[in-house]
Amino acid sequence: MSKILRVNMTDLTTEFESVPEKYKNMGGRWLTSCMVCDEVPPTCHPLGPNNKIVYASGIVTGTAAPTSGRISIGGKSPLTGTIKETNSGGQAGQKLARLGIKAIIVEGQPKEKGQYWVLKVDKDGAQLLPAADGWLGKGLYETYPLLFDKFGEKVAIIGIGMAGERLMSNAGICVNDPQNRPARYAGRGGMGAVMGSKGLKAIILDDKDGPGVPIVNKEVFDTGRKKLTDALREHAITKPGGGLNSYGTAVLVNIMNEAGGFPTRNFREGRFEGAARISGETINETCKKRGGVGMTGHGCSPGCIIRCSNVYPKPDGSELVSVQEYESVWSFGANCGIDDLDITGELVHLCNDYGLDTIEAGVTIGIAMEAGLADFGDGKKAIELMHQIGEGTPLGYILGNGAATTAGVFGVVRCPTVKGQAMPAYDPRAVKGIGITYAISTMGADHTSGYTIAPEILGVSGKVDQFIVEKADMARNFQYATAFIDTSGHCLFIAFAILDIPSGLEGMVEECSGVLGTNWTLDDIGRIGGEIIGMEREFNAAAGFTRVHDRLPEFMKYEELSPHNVVFDVPDEELDKVHAV
Amino acid sequence: MIEVHLYGKLRRFTDNQNPARDSVIYVPVEEEDTIEDIVERIGIPSEELGSNIFLNGEYSAKTRQVRANDRLGVFPDDMQLLYKWYFRKAGAGEDRDRD
Repeated sequence: MSKILRVNMTDLTTEFESVPEKYKNMGGRWLTSCMVCDEVPPTCHPLGPNNKIVYASGIVTGTAAPTSGRISIGGKSPLTGTIKETNSGGQAGQKLARLGIKAIIVEGQPKEKGQYWVLKVDKDGAQLLPAADGWLGKGLYETYPLLFDKFGEKVAIIGIGMAGERLMSNAGICVNDPQNRPARYAGRGGMGAVMGSKGLKAIILDDKDGPGVPIVNKEVFDTGRKKLTDALREHAITKPGGGLNSYGTAVLVNIMNEAGGFPTRNFREGRFEGAARISGETINETCKKRGGVGMTGHGCSPGCIIRCSNVYPKPDGSELVSVQEYESVWSFGANCGIDDLDITGELVHLCNDYGLDTIEAGVTIGIAMEAGLADFGDGKKAIELMHQIGEGTPLGYILGNGAATTAGVFGVVRCPTVKGQAMPAYDPRAVKGIGITYAISTMGADHTSGYTIAPEILGVSGKVDQFIVEKADMARNFQYATAFIDTSGHCLFIAFAILDIPSGLEGMVEECSGVLGTNWTLDDIGRIGGEIIGMEREFNAAAGFTRVHDRLPEFMKYEELSPHNVVFDVPDEELDKVHAV
Repeated sequence: MIEVHLYGKLRRFTDNQNPARDSVIYVPVEEEDTIEDIVERIGIPSEELGSNIFLNGEYSAKTRQVRANDRLGVFPDDMQLLYKWYFRKAGAGEDRDRD
């Protein structure tokens, strides 16, 4: 029987509870968002005693379902002030599920600040251990090996770095990859600071002799698993040797640059002259040329078919960092005017080490450059600025609190954030559909919260016909599908295959039905996705968010983006319509 | 002439195979030529073509007409990561837009 583990950091107790009927069929984002809505007062301070942090694996995570190792982490975000779900690959999701634990809820707060604990969970139960002094105040590349020495090489670690210990709003939560690197992140929204505010340095998951994930209807599960596996193996983007496997997510660098929507030098321009040098193709070529440990096609969690991660080598073939992915080579690359993968790699390494989200950190450095703290293109200075965060200097605290804080401190108007969260690597002026997603997302500017529709489909051109209505419906359904994928435990990248191959989509639903013993159909995707987004919006409304917050930064309405020389011209009323229907 | 930027496995139709630089080929253009005509003239097999085709930075249908001095960017089928609904496809009729 699966259980819920409740951890109270005020009195340092742990307790296993049975799973209420209401949560029985939930997992991932559905479960974290529902628990947060049920238990967290929307007006609470994100770093205060009344916020909670919830960890939940997806519905099929821990089974043999392909590319399904995700763990969702939810709570109220100190970066955005909204509800947050941020998810990660790595090893933790599968081990948590195989321990028979539906969710871990961490609540309360130690009375004394600066004291840290480690939560150890295994088949026999859970205990809070005081964190050794040697595990604190240093980089995770030093801390994680110490934790593996203490708890064994086969555990999963969900931990925070110095940024989380210092309660910085850009602190992410780190999960070890299959080689135990501190390299996978539930990065967005500063949830590492929430974990830090609870005095929790790390969760150690040892699933040895755990009960595993029960599958109620194995036949249905196996049918679904085969359909999804076939779709992933067939689709040109997700198959072995396909686009993501060969080039990684940075395959998008050249595409977005060609489209004129690749934000360059803090969103001043839409095309970067150095794009080719930081592209996925160049990452692939460099891994081959330099050899050594360099590789593309690296899997971030066991059982992934897509395997879009990489290990990027130094010139001598030794490891610089895993992983150089699209959002990171963009945020530290084009966005800072830097066209050198050795520098972006070093900056990503620092994020992993200090415990920071790479998107937020890169956009923050871009704003620091805008403010005159460094020149665009100056990689050496960018590295120095990042070190300030590690050293905990006053400037480091400003930068560690993210893009919006930094822009506020230095009076930078060109601040590409929504609800306080930095935009990812698509300029909404050139890609208006993504702009709508950024604006209306329950999580702040976020590229993973759904495929949204181009503005003309919402009737900007003044033309609304059946065709347009159909597409708007479909686009909303895609948002729901995204929330459902984040609930299933699959990686969002399966979307490429399942949106093009209908049997793959069926397969994902059948896998879930097989595990849970439900009779879900494709219609349930919309029902469940709609329920998730609806409850998240209710939380935000109760936290004080209105339609005025569902907006892009003002400069995007009057500053034209080259090469298309366009502004974001989707009227506010149109943004408000997406969820009004 | 039209300036064509090729990516991924399509770089083999240009002189430059180094991905750290752009792979560009200049192709003669005739009146009423479409993107499809240009791609055929280069010799790219249709099955290697993806949906991510950009004419002057605009996500475009293969049937869109080209003009001299245009810039065309073409990605192969295994690189079509931008989902088709992110953009209105320029140069496409509504029926074509639908698929």
